[in-house]
Amino acid sequence: MRSKLTWMLTPLLVLFITFSYGQEKTISGNVTDQNGLPLPGVSIVVVTTTTGTQTDFDGNYSIQANEGDVLRYSYIGQKTVNRTVGAATTINIQMEEDAQALEEVVVTALGIQKSTRTLGYGTDVVKGEELVKARETNIVNSLQGKVTGVQITNTGGNLGGSSKIIIRGVSSLSGANNPLWVVDGVLINNSQTVTGSRITGNRDFSNGAAVINPDDVEDINVLKGAAATALYGSRAAAGAIIVTTKKGRGGDGGATVSFNSSTRFDNLFRIPDYQQEYAMGTNGQYDSGSVGFDWGPRIEGQTVPNAPVTNAPGQLRAVKDNGINDFFDTGVTRINNFAIGDADEKMDYRLSVTSLNQNGVLPGSSLDRITVGLNAGVRHSEKLESRFSVQYTTTKTRGTGATGANDPNIIDLGNSFSSTLDQNLFSPWIDESGNQINQLVDNQGVLSNNPLWLRNENKNDRDDDRVFGNAQITWKPLRNFSILGRAGIDLQDDRRLLTNRKGTIQRLFGDFDSDEIRRNELTTDLIFTYANQFSDDWDLTVFGGFQYNERTFQRQRIRGVDLLIPELFSPANAAQAIPERDFTKRSLFGIYGSAELGYKNWATLTLTARNDYSSTLPEDNNSYFYPSASLAFVFTDAFGISNDILSFGKLRASWAKVGNDTAAYQLNFNFNPVTTATGQYSLNNNFPFNGALAYSASNTIPPSNLVPEEQTSYEFGLDLKFFNGRLNLDAAYFNNKNENQILNIPIPESTGFAFRTTNVGRVDQKGFEISLDALAVQSKNGDFAWNTAINYSKVDSEVVSLTDGLERVVIASGFNSVQVVAVPGEEFQLFAIPHLKDEETGRPIIDPNTGRRQAGEATTLGSVLPDWTGGWINNFSYKGFSLNATVDVRWGGVMKSSTVESLQTGGLVTETLQNREGTFIDTEGIIVTDNGDGTFDRRDNDVPLLNAQDFWTSLNDNSVAEPYIYDATYVKLREVGISYTFSSKLLGDSFIKSLTLGLEGRNLALLYSKVPHIDPEATLFGSGADGFGIERSSVPSTRSVGFNIRLTF
Amino acid sequence: MKKLKLILLCFVFISGTFSSCDDKLDINTDPLVATSADPNAVLPFVFVQYSSRKVTELGTRICDVSQYISNTFNSPKNGSTSIFLTGNTWGMMYNQILGNLSLVKADATAAGPTSNNVNAIATILSAHIYFELTSIWEDVPYSEALNGQDFPAPNFDKQEDVLNAVVGLYDEAIALIDSRQLDGEFAIQTTADQFYGGDMDKWRILANSLKLRALMLLRNGGASVDSQINATLAQPLMSSNDEAAYLIYTGAPGAQNAMKTIITAFFGPDNESQNVFGPGPPIDNLLRDSGDPRYDLWVARNDLPAPELAFFPDNSTSVLSNNIIRFDLPDMLMLPSEIDLYKAELALEGFAAAGSADANYRAGVTNSLRWWGQDIPGVLATLSEADITGYVSSLAAPTIEDVYNQQYLSAFLQPVMAWTHVRRNQIPVLDAPPASTIGTTLRRFNYPPDEVTSNPNTPANLPTETPMWFEN
Repeated sequence: MRSKLTWMLTPLLVLFITFSYGQEKTISGNVTDQNGLPLPGVSIVVVTTTTGTQTDFDGNYSIQANEGDVLRYSYIGQKTVNRTVGAATTINIQMEEDAQALEEVVVTALGIQKSTRTLGYGTDVVKGEELVKARETNIVNSLQGKVTGVQITNTGGNLGGSSKIIIRGVSSLSGANNPLWVVDGVLINNSQTVTGSRITGNRDFSNGAAVINPDDVEDINVLKGAAATALYGSRAAAGAIIVTTKKGRGGDGGATVSFNSSTRFDNLFRIPDYQQEYAMGTNGQYDSGSVGFDWGPRIEGQTVPNAPVTNAPGQLRAVKDNGINDFFDTGVTRINNFAIGDADEKMDYRLSVTSLNQNGVLPGSSLDRITVGLNAGVRHSEKLESRFSVQYTTTKTRGTGATGANDPNIIDLGNSFSSTLDQNLFSPWIDESGNQINQLVDNQGVLSNNPLWLRNENKNDRDDDRVFGNAQITWKPLRNFSILGRAGIDLQDDRRLLTNRKGTIQRLFGDFDSDEIRRNELTTDLIFTYANQFSDDWDLTVFGGFQYNERTFQRQRIRGVDLLIPELFSPANAAQAIPERDFTKRSLFGIYGSAELGYKNWATLTLTARNDYSSTLPEDNNSYFYPSASLAFVFTDAFGISNDILSFGKLRASWAKVGNDTAAYQLNFNFNPVTTATGQYSLNNNFPFNGALAYSASNTIPPSNLVPEEQTSYEFGLDLKFFNGRLNLDAAYFNNKNENQILNIPIPESTGFAFRTTNVGRVDQKGFEISLDALAVQSKNGDFAWNTAINYSKVDSEVVSLTDGLERVVIASGFNSVQVVAVPGEEFQLFAIPHLKDEETGRPIIDPNTGRRQAGEATTLGSVLPDWTGGWINNFSYKGFSLNATVDVRWGGVMKSSTVESLQTGGLVTETLQNREGTFIDTEGIIVTDNGDGTFDRRDNDVPLLNAQDFWTSLNDNSVAEPYIYDATYVKLREVGISYTFSSKLLGDSFIKSLTLGLEGRNLALLYSKVPHIDPEATLFGSGADGFGIERSSVPSTRSVGFNIRLTF
Repeated sequence: MKKLKLILLCFVFISGTFSSCDDKLDINTDPLVATSADPNAVLPFVFVQYSSRKVTELGTRICDVSQYISNTFNSPKNGSTSIFLTGNTWGMMYNQILGNLSLVKADATAAGPTSNNVNAIATILSAHIYFELTSIWEDVPYSEALNGQDFPAPNFDKQEDVLNAVVGLYDEAIALIDSRQLDGEFAIQTTADQFYGGDMDKWRILANSLKLRALMLLRNGGASVDSQINATLAQPLMSSNDEAAYLIYTGAPGAQNAMKTIITAFFGPDNESQNVFGPGPPIDNLLRDSGDPRYDLWVARNDLPAPELAFFPDNSTSVLSNNIIRFDLPDMLMLPSEIDLYKAELALEGFAAAGSADANYRAGVTNSLRWWGQDIPGVLATLSEADITGYVSSLAAPTIEDVYNQQYLSAFLQPVMAWTHVRRNQIPVLDAPPASTIGTTLRRFNYPPDEVTSNPNTPANLPTETPMWFEN
């Protein structure tokens, strides 16, 4: 320890020697834009020191400086101005617009602000205003199409559902593919805790970062490369998303008050192409209980003795779109944000209150969220500043949709609707005694659940309270030296209650599942910064610090089965209560340092280093070092290139090594107390069983010497600005090598164990990103402008190797033998059973006895990751009018849709009408006869199936998935916003300072897709799983249209 | 001076952070798990996990392979064994059951003769699992199994070798029981031994009876085991239902037989109203109009025709009775009727030590009738002793075919054993299911992909219609 301290302190001692002192005085003044209007929020720093301030709402500032000091005035979109302090105490500045925005300042790792021109890696900044043009309730979704290199997936129209973001493809086989989320310098959890399982039915409750309130966000910086995130060390491999929240700004002699209100209406995005010619039933025979299975007779207005639901004689008639619009509601979303802020040279303060109220398309689903944000800072003196920010969010989610399988509460497009089933008949669903009524009864008299009973009587609730925030103190004891201490917390209290009311078919006795989860994260940082300009050409900024991070997860779950009193969810009211408890705690120490050496403001070399000590790694092997180097070279300045065509050019290069540690408690061999003896179909038993408790040995052999996962990466980039910034190009090439993957590798279960935890395998990512933006058209008077931006990213994530003898690793399992697997030499693959094919013709081989296709051997059927993703953003403005539109593209990759499988096997959709009543021969098929002498006879299939139903229902026999695997490409019109901002002339002297009215729409149109009937974005997996490319029973996604009003007082 | 203060301050900050560093990092021990476990806590897991998985996975899914049930869900009867069926069963047997039993056995062996009782139980249960493994897959890892250190990719042993090893394990268990050290013996809690509450005499009978079961397969495969069979017949064998080995399901939530919970979870209140499990053709053929009281005990609406092979029952067919498809149906591992009927078979084949074929045959039927009509826990519809003797005395002297048919009936609701009987005896003769892709009944499972991909020594899968060595 002593030697470490000496090592740390030596550079500090050296640096102190160069400190100097002068006679300070107060400089004040006013900053305006090129039109002479006051410019609030201009950053003013004393160059080579850490002293700085901002202008207030009227553009006024004051700052302590010495004669001879250089003051640097910078503001986004304005050319930076340098002024040397002379005898005068007043310096007024008029800034000039700078279309090149060369001096844009971004917040990077650990909350460090940097000028983009000095960055040796690419970043993507999304401004807060972009997030609220057509607001999303999950902030992750609002990044869709706006950032290069990210892929966003969500689980459809489920209120309060999760969204997953991955940056530059997948890097980890163990699921560590989620980026780190950082709000105002503090790490927050983006975890998703699953209640239930896909096999038993689960609820996709939101990911942790979804509570970040878009109205409070100043900007989001997506750090993609390892060099950008290297200061996060062992948690940096999947990228980082740096959120900076808004600070208070003063108004015209007082506070700034703003009000932003949106109301939106949601409807189903896509309705399957349901057939309306044939009724519920089987083999042409009507069956009143055959919901989701429309192989009955032709609908001819015939009278049946047992009409659906009424079970009384009635006429069969087709219901438009199978009654889907009768069942699903029109969703309504209301978002209201009120914010008040103020600032002067001494303090800034912003209080924001947001309410979000949603009713979903799924009957009985709602989400109510209140967010209160507070962000304030005080400049106590030139030497001491303190600030804090805190966000409290309380969310009540009701009626979340069930997904997965084996849960009676699942309602999906494939199994819950039929041509002759009028959904309106399901209302009412309960009688005065609390019994379920208006149920479907099949021809055998077997009842099934009334879907409105499921939606209204069974609870799918989540109450989530979340507080995160930070407090920090900056002390500048010396002019070019500062110390920042920061403590951040993230507390989550997440309570879920899932119930089945007594009388629910398949859960006749009633049950409940009360699941209470707490996640806490504490992060403290102590950062020492030193900045100095050695000469006119050279400047140096050095900082070093420590970080401590602690994450705790606690969970208590009680499931109660067989309730005595209905709707009483106490363990004492259940014939059996099954308690479970879970706890993990992990900690991480980091020591880090960075040196940034600049030469003539056109070359910047940045070196960073971090050493981590992780509690999850073996005690004598828990220290790891993560270095990075990056270089930014503004060649246009270096070579004096300055002309009207090429205005700016920067080359950047970086190299870094970062890592991923492992989860807590992976190192010891344990016997686990067991509460559940598992069975197929989740038909489990529980301990104590006949009075006995149970323990079972872990099925995983713990590792003997685990090391962190290691990512080594390099990146090259090019920034070019043409025509004085009217056309900008940013291109990057990156190459990441991810080794020492920490994986529970499957071992032969005949060894008595199922897995062994070890470092194995390698995944590489390489790719390139291009973003191009242009002021395509601008009228001479400036009234009309068209801005357009295109981004494109192509990432290849290749599993290079696993371990000897291991052909593949299962990343995620779907249903019916469909899996996502890692196979050496490939991207993540969909692994499923195809039809047996004739090698010569590639056609499915038909069984000559039945006319049916046959199952082949399970194999890889394509990458589940896209070939490339892209976005196209346009903004048209004319005077006060503004029109924004975002199109986003996912190209390539495959997906398997179980919903389409159900729609087709159920005879629900129009393609199943072909030859409904005639002879059905599978003409794609071929019959191959083995002559026994090594030769084969081939003929076009001429063997009829029993009927069309036999064809469609036998396609997935023996778990064949191939017919439902589609190219997952889509092109979507993601969002459109039209707004009109009233000019100050129109507003006159009223108390309103600005007023904008807008129309907004999200998820508006599917411009291209090869997947029939459903939204190709749908996925089975929530953000907590590492699955891609499988869809099943998802809550249908929605299209939202609404209006918006923004007011500032 | 000012600088000095600052440096001191930094020093205090830094050392304050580091002094607690080691404590803060030394937290990687899960507070909710144990590093060792008492066999009294591990054995219940073995009993219940084995049964839970077996009843739900095999009980509900292969019951129509041997056709004691007409049709079921996700069955491999048509020739294709899904990776979940095979993988879940294999994983349960090797990892969850044999893995835990090998740890219990290793601890007991280290403890010496005072733990012979628990060692014997672990050995008997392990032998039974290997017997079922080879019954399902034929060649399976035995000699290199459960030793990942030396054999990370275990080789597969031939079925004959596995069965001989199983017999050896039963001998080992009997020897352990015979050499128990009672002074200071490990106390098996009655709740931990879910079969016999720690009664080692009954375990010895079970070991010998299971040994006979394994020898019957070896003999059928052509191995020379006659002397071992004679030796086994000379030792105490199961003879009455109070020696039967079965797991009790109380019927309370969390302790319910999945033959019933599959109905309540997915359909409705009970089998008779929901038409899930119907009698298979051989059950109908053997029992209808036979006078066998089991017909009324097992089959409801039995004046109606049985559902055909590969069809579910409906209101126009007979259906399995709520008498047996109930929450508290026990999961049977071995009943004495099986032993009686082996003895009858052996007697007919000339084994003098087996006694009288006729007497054993009648004892087997009697024990089976008593089980279903009197002794089975939670019995609903009962048989009187007069009903039983009346029927048994009406039976003609048995042919070998009669014995085989009774063996089949005695294995009713025992998914692996019923399948093993029909493969060993070829009686009753089963029709191939109408949609079978293999033209016959299923003879084996394919190896699960998890084992295939992780163990290069896994043999190539044989077609699922290929008979096993023991069917010889």
